[in-house]
Formats: sequence, structure tokens, C-alpha cells
Amino acid sequence: MSVAQAEARELELEDQSGLWRDAFDRLRRNPGAIAGTVIIAGFAAIALLAPALAPHGPNEQVGGLAAVPPGPSTDFPLGLDQQGRDVLSRIIFGARLSLLVGVVSAGVGLSLGLVLGSLAGYFGRWIDSIIMRVMDLMLAVPQFLLALAIVTALGPGLIQIMFAVGVANVPQFARLLRGGILAQRESDYVLAARSLGAPGRRLLLAHILPNSVAPVIVQGTLAMATAIIDVAGLSFLGLGPADPGLTEWGKMVAENAGRLESAPHLVLFPGFAIVISVLGLNLVGDGLREALDPKLKN
Amino acid sequence: MALLSIDDLEVEFETRRATIHAVNRISFSLDSGETLGIVGESGCGKSVSSLAVLGILPANARVAGRVEFAGDDLLALPDSKMRAVRGRDISMIFQDPMTSLNPVLTVGRQITETLRKHLRMDAAQADEEAARLLERVGIADARNRLRDYPHQFSGGMRQRVMIAMAISCRPKVLIADEPTTALDVTLQAQILEVLRALVAEERMGLILITHDLGVVAGLCERTIVMYAGRIVESGPTRELFARPRHPYTLGLLKSVPRVDARAKERLVPIPGTPRDLRSLEAGCAFAPRCPYATERSRAETPQLRPIDDLEHRVACWNPVPDGDLPPSRPPAPVEEER
Amino acid sequence: MTGEANQLVRVEDLKVYFPLRSGLMFDRHVGDVKAVDGVTFGVRRGETLGLVGESGCGKTTVGRSILRLIEPTAGKVEFDGVDLGSLSKAELRTMRRRMQMVFQDPYSSLNPRQNVGAIVAEPFKIHGIASGRELEARVQDLLDVVGLPRGAGNRYPHEFSGGQRQRIGLARVLALNPDLIVADEPVSALDVSIQAQIINLLEDLQREFDLTYIFIAHDLAVVRHISDRIAVMYLGAIAEIAPVGKLYADPLHPYTKALLSAVPIPDPEVERSRERIILWGDLPSPAAPPPGCRFHTRCPYRQETRCDTEVPPLRVLDIGHSAACHWAEDIKAGRIEPRMPAVP
Repeated sequence: MSVAQAEARELELEDQSGLWRDAFDRLRRNPGAIAGTVIIAGFAAIALLAPALAPHGPNEQVGGLAAVPPGPSTDFPLGLDQQGRDVLSRIIFGARLSLLVGVVSAGVGLSLGLVLGSLAGYFGRWIDSIIMRVMDLMLAVPQFLLALAIVTALGPGLIQIMFAVGVANVPQFARLLRGGILAQRESDYVLAARSLGAPGRRLLLAHILPNSVAPVIVQGTLAMATAIIDVAGLSFLGLGPADPGLTEWGKMVAENAGRLESAPHLVLFPGFAIVISVLGLNLVGDGLREALDPKLKN
Repeated sequence: MALLSIDDLEVEFETRRATIHAVNRISFSLDSGETLGIVGESGCGKSVSSLAVLGILPANARVAGRVEFAGDDLLALPDSKMRAVRGRDISMIFQDPMTSLNPVLTVGRQITETLRKHLRMDAAQADEEAARLLERVGIADARNRLRDYPHQFSGGMRQRVMIAMAISCRPKVLIADEPTTALDVTLQAQILEVLRALVAEERMGLILITHDLGVVAGLCERTIVMYAGRIVESGPTRELFARPRHPYTLGLLKSVPRVDARAKERLVPIPGTPRDLRSLEAGCAFAPRCPYATERSRAETPQLRPIDDLEHRVACWNPVPDGDLPPSRPPAPVEEER
Repeated sequence: MTGEANQLVRVEDLKVYFPLRSGLMFDRHVGDVKAVDGVTFGVRRGETLGLVGESGCGKTTVGRSILRLIEPTAGKVEFDGVDLGSLSKAELRTMRRRMQMVFQDPYSSLNPRQNVGAIVAEPFKIHGIASGRELEARVQDLLDVVGLPRGAGNRYPHEFSGGQRQRIGLARVLALNPDLIVADEPVSALDVSIQAQIINLLEDLQREFDLTYIFIAHDLAVVRHISDRIAVMYLGAIAEIAPVGKLYADPLHPYTKALLSAVPIPDPEVERSRERIILWGDLPSPAAPPPGCRFHTRCPYRQETRCDTEVPPLRVLDIGHSAACHWAEDIKAGRIEPRMPAVP
């Protein structure tokens, strides 16, 4: 039997698997990751289908103005706020903005971080030094305070806080990606591509980046979680969207913080929404980290 | 009476996807002062067997069989008793000297630790002995070098340090698992010389595990050939190399490059790839790659049986006939230039 | 030297130094690791030159410098008469099609995120040689030529064994129809029975595609089976270079002798009756090579004069056979005896 024939038989006995498929399998078996995915998918669905799901509009007055707004009842499962608006509907509509904020902020951080990290990792030398020193300076300040400082400079508003939180996220991504690139840059397969004549752009895009990107993806989901919290925090401090018509969980908590004793439902329910969505993102992030861990691959 | 006796040793690893049958009922023995070689390619089970003897397999391993040493079955001993055996009566050296030594402890500390624990020496005695051991394995300026850290030694020196540690308590059995594979060939020659001298002086039993047939030829009196977790051939080294009766042994000898070959001599490879250890089918594991295989090879698992002489055993239904045995090699003639 | 016009590769006084830097804030240049320190040789079209040596001898660096994957610090590399140092980036990229490399580690030389088909198709894509259906056909041809089974193209590297991965690497380099292949320890990481398969495959491919090989290895036994000529390197320089038969039958440099006697032979009768030449001590660091002859600190034939002061040139001692040793003729004639170390 020729070598090729013997090996063909060997291959047939194995079942096919790609790298991503292996990771997907591992993810599927992880109960935490599944729970997290369900939560996130649930919230995403809620956000998308808000108009259809919510019994009322977010700013629709279904009750009268009240000094002590009513708590949960059969008509209004999560109660009403002091302006007579249905809390359940506000939370459902609030999902849109809050999740959007998480995605956009993390997205801003990730993209800027990717670009800076790639430049630093690939070109090295003085470009690397300058970029990384700036990143170090940014990392010296706690992320929330950094976002706070940026918003203070830019002025309050939704766009501003998304941008600020995004920028505050950049250093962690830049670092992560730079590390990955440095590690992959010296690998044999990159050298092999160079020896084939591949130009720099191709080396980076087709070879180095795809193999450096896994930890960045994991970090991305975790960054979304912190972004939601950070934005909620900034809103709480009053730096959030000025427009009273905009519904956002953090703003809801902020506006009603003083009423914790008299009308706890106004603070607790949006608070739960924040906590559960962050939990979901964390579970998915952890699951992804485990699934993509190269040490588990053979 | 044999020093160490392994009977029907079996090792399986439980993994999520499948059970890996790493070692399938092997039996062999070792006498004092004897050097036994265990030869095979990666995945044949040679390393796993010795880890089983010392009881240092990972948690998902299932071991069965009997390992007789000094009247005890090592596999049945509780870990507390095994700890007294490891390092003192039976010692092991590993392949990679870079990672087998603790980088944050001085070399002296690592050696004296063993001495103080097993032989109950005090600090001064242990230091004295540690220096003596380093000298014994050929490290110059031993007294001062005790204070050095592993990274201050070169690769060859580190392997010597490992050997010093391993023989510090004068073990009766030394297991060397690919001790020179990671070293350059001139260093390899040095380390093998050190081992040879030590074994002769101390009358230790040495089990040398390697994939290198040349190393085995030079150092071991008896050799065991393993394939897919089983012993396929065993016997006096000279016998085995002169009359390799198992087709796998013959295949290995024909495919191994030799420094004394004729220039540009064509090698004869063994077709196919080593067997997947996840399945434990009946029949000879080597049959798919074997030019002598018959229906019987595929259906029934062959057992080790004597052939040629009592000491020489082979597990094969169709051992290599006389006509196919390699001829004794004439010295290579002086070549003309191509 | 005859046949110079026939030389595909010509290396002249190649030097590759890696700077050592140290310092708190700014890295100062404090010294060099002299990985390759003045290497000169040629490779004829169609031949296989074995480049042999132990760790730190610089053989891998030589291979990579020839392909310009590392920039030499000094010296000249000529490929088919063209000085590679004089080429622009674009010209070099075109030239790369003719000289390729096979790597030692089958586990890291393939991009784990590309399937085999993409890996082998890449050279075609980089140079715009083929696309679409023609590309698929050519990729399949290459996979056949190296003995990989049908359907391998859709699978990922981690699904293959070491030997199979080396075949994938070979298919990749053959795509461009190169003249020269530098094989950097292509079988060192493979099991013994698979090594022979790959060595034979390399020989078959050489015949079929008219290839020239520079075969880098630390294993003298392996190169014996595939090389026409062998160059033995030690600590950045060539110690001896000779046709394969002569090197093994009549080694002239003490290091070659020691190296040959250290290689274990799978034959108990021969092993026990061999003369062994054991070297002293460890390999010196390439950052601080010994003065004079690099090998003198370990040489069993070392003499009082010249060895520690003069660097021996690589000189011709026989037809096609050169060695860098002041005392080579005396050693060969038996006028100098080797001294073995007291402790190995």
C-alpha cells in the first residue's frame, strides 16, 4: 500500500473539524456560556422588538403624576414612575440605548485599539515606543475616571459619553493586540509567508491578525459589560443625555436614586436590568475565553 | 531474582472524547547492574510505562497490573509509601533539562533537599555530598557551582545536574527517559559516557528509554521494542540487531539513517503512520503497515513467544524469515567522488 | 574552481551579527552575537549540499540569510549570478519565487487558521500566477505529488500528523517551481519511520523537478543519505567541506572527527568496537567566541602554538576537500595523537 493510501485511510477515520468549529463545540458544552448567550440574545430581541413588546410607549403617561408612584400591580407589572410612565415599557425601550451604548463604546475602543496595537506591534521601534507610552499613561488612570475626564472636557451628552467610555477602553485592546502580534510575528508560518514573497500588508491581514485576534474578541465582550456600567455611572453623575425623552437604564437609576426608600421599584428594576445584562456578557466572555484557549487545542 | 518486575501492566487515559489505550499488558524485568533499553517511536507507550512504575501519571490515568520491587507491588502502595521509594530507591531523569529543574532554587538546594529528606543528612553533610555528586558527573568547580541557579548552566551541564540529583540517594533503579534527545550529539556522547560509568560503578539497574536505535546499540545489554502500547520484540541487544524477527524492528532498522551507510544509500521507510491509540481492536497493531501480514495478523493479537533462543522473544504470527534478515554490514568502502 | 559558472548559489564571506543591547531606558549596543562569521561556499546546480553542525553553529542563520529572510551584516550572496543585496524590494520579491524554504517545525510552519488548500494556494495568489478553477487543479496536483490523500485540501493543519504537515509545507514551496530549496532540519521533529519517507520524497522531488538543495541538519546520519557534498559548521564558521564519501571516510578537521565518532550507530558490534573521540567541555557562546581557532578550547588535537592565536583559514587539502585547521596534515599523517579528557 502506498504511503498516500495508508494516510488516506487514516484521515477518513477522523471527522472533520475546523478551528472555529472546535471552539464552537466547546462553547456549546459550557452551561455558563449558554446561559449568557440566552440572556444576551433575550435582551437583544427585547431591544429590537421593543415597540411590539412594550405595552406602552416609554414616555407615554398612563397614570397621573404622583408624589409616591405606585409599585408593581396587575396592570403595570413593574409599576409607574413619578410622571405616570410605565416602568416596564421604559425598561424595554431602555434596552435599546443601554445595549447600543455598550456595543458602540466597546466597538470604538476595539477599533481604535486594534489600529494602534497593530501599528505598534507590526512596525515596532519608535512607533511602538510612542504608542505604548501613551497607552501606559492612559492605563495609569482608572478607566472610569478617565472617561469622566474626557466627558468633562467634551461636555455632557449621550454621544459624548459613548465616545469617552470608548476611548478609555483603547489601551487594553491596544496592549492585548500588540502582545498577540509580537508573539505571532516571529512564528515560522509568518516567516514562510515572507519567504513566499508575501508583502507586509498580506502578512498582517491574512496571517498575523487572524491568529492574534482571539483574546481581543474575549476582551470585547467583557468590555461591553463594563461599558454599560460606566455609561450608567456617568449618567448617574448627571453627565448623560440631557434630553429627558431619552430612556436609558443608568439615567433611570440616577433620576430615582433619591426615592430608594419610598419607591424602590424605580431604582431596583432598571438596576437589575443592568446587572443581568452585564452578567450575561461576562458569562459569554468567559465561555469564549475558555473555548478559544490555544492550550486546550492540540 | 529480578530487581524490578513488571507484569501485565496496563494504562488507559480517560479523555472526554475517547479512552486512550496507552499501554496494553506489557511484562518485563530488570536485574541489578543491567542496562535495559526500551525503544519505540512517539506514542508507543514507553514513557507512560515508566511513569506508571513511579506512580506519577496524571489524574485521568487508569492503571492495572503488578510492579514488583523489593517485595512490594508498587501499584498497590499508598502514595505516602511511594514517596519514600521515588528518588531514593527508584529515580528518574527526564528529557528536557531546561524545564525539569526548578528555576528559582539553586542547584545545591535542589540536590541537598533530596539528600536531607531521604537520607536524613544534616546541612553540612548534604552540602559535602552534593559537591561530591557534581564532581562525579563531571562538573568542574563543584563546591562553588552549588550556589548557582539552573539558568547559569548550559544544557549539557543541566542534564548532568539532573543525573547528580537522580543518583544522589544511590537508587537501585535509574530510569532515563530520552535523556539525551534534546542535546547536541557531542554532548550526548558525554552524557552517555557518564551514565555508563555510573551504572558500572554503582551496580544500578538502568532503564534507558529512547527512540534512537544507535544509543540502545551502544549502551544496553537487553532491548525491548514497543509499538502501539505493546511489546513486539525483546531480547539481548546483539541478537535483536543481528536477527530482527519482528517486521517492525526490521522496518526500523532499514529506515534509520546511518553514519556508516554507503553514501546516498536509499532508505526503506515503513509505509503509513503509527497506530491510533484510541481503538483497542484485536489483531496485531502493526498489521496495516506490515509486508508480512496475513488474515491471522488482522484477526488475532499475537503473544510474545521465544524464537531463535529462549531470551529472544517476538510477538508475531509471521516473523521475518532468515532470507530477509539484514546481512552483517561490511565496512563502507572508500568512496569515489560523485 | 571548476564549474563556477554552474554555481546556482555563491556565498562570499557572509557575516551575520546580532547586536546585544542593554540599558535601563535606552538600549545601548554592547556587543554582538556572531552567529555567522565569515562563511564562503558555493552550491552547484542540481546538487545537494548538506550543512551540518550543532546548536549555535549558525547553519540556520546561513540558510535564512541566503534567502534574505535575515539581512546579512556583511558579505555577498549571489543567486544565479545576481547579487541579492543589490536588488530592490520588488525585484527581490520576484526573485523569491526561485528560492524557497522548508521549515523544521511542522507544527508552527503552517498557519493554523488556513485550510490546507488555502496554504498551498497562497504562493499562486501572492504572485498572481493562477486563480479559479486552474488554481484548484494545480493545488490538487501538488497535493498528489507530495503524497497527500484526496480531500486533504479542506482540512486544517492540526488534523494532520507531523510527517503529513511536512508534506504540506513541501507542496507549498513547489508551487512556485523554485530552483533552490533550503531545507532547514526538515525531518528532525519527525518519528524515525516517517523521517525515511520524507527523505525519500525529497530525493524523488529533486529528480522530478530539477531542484538544488541546501539541506541543513544536526544529524550526520541523515545528511549522509541525501547529500552530494557536506559542509560542517562550528560556531559561525565552516570547519570542513568535502564530497560526502570523503568526509565520512577521511575527515580532516578534529571537530568532524569528534562529531562522526559521537553519532551512535544502530549496530551493537560496531558500537562496541569504535574508537571514540570525546570532546572537552561545552560549546562556547557565540557572543564570545574563543580567539584564534574557534574550536581550540575543546580540541583533542590542540597544539601549543597557533591554535589559540591564529584563525585557521579554510584551505584546500585535497580535491574538493577543504578544512580549517593549522595541523590537518600532521593529524592525518598520525604525527599528532588526540588527548581525551579525564572526566567526560
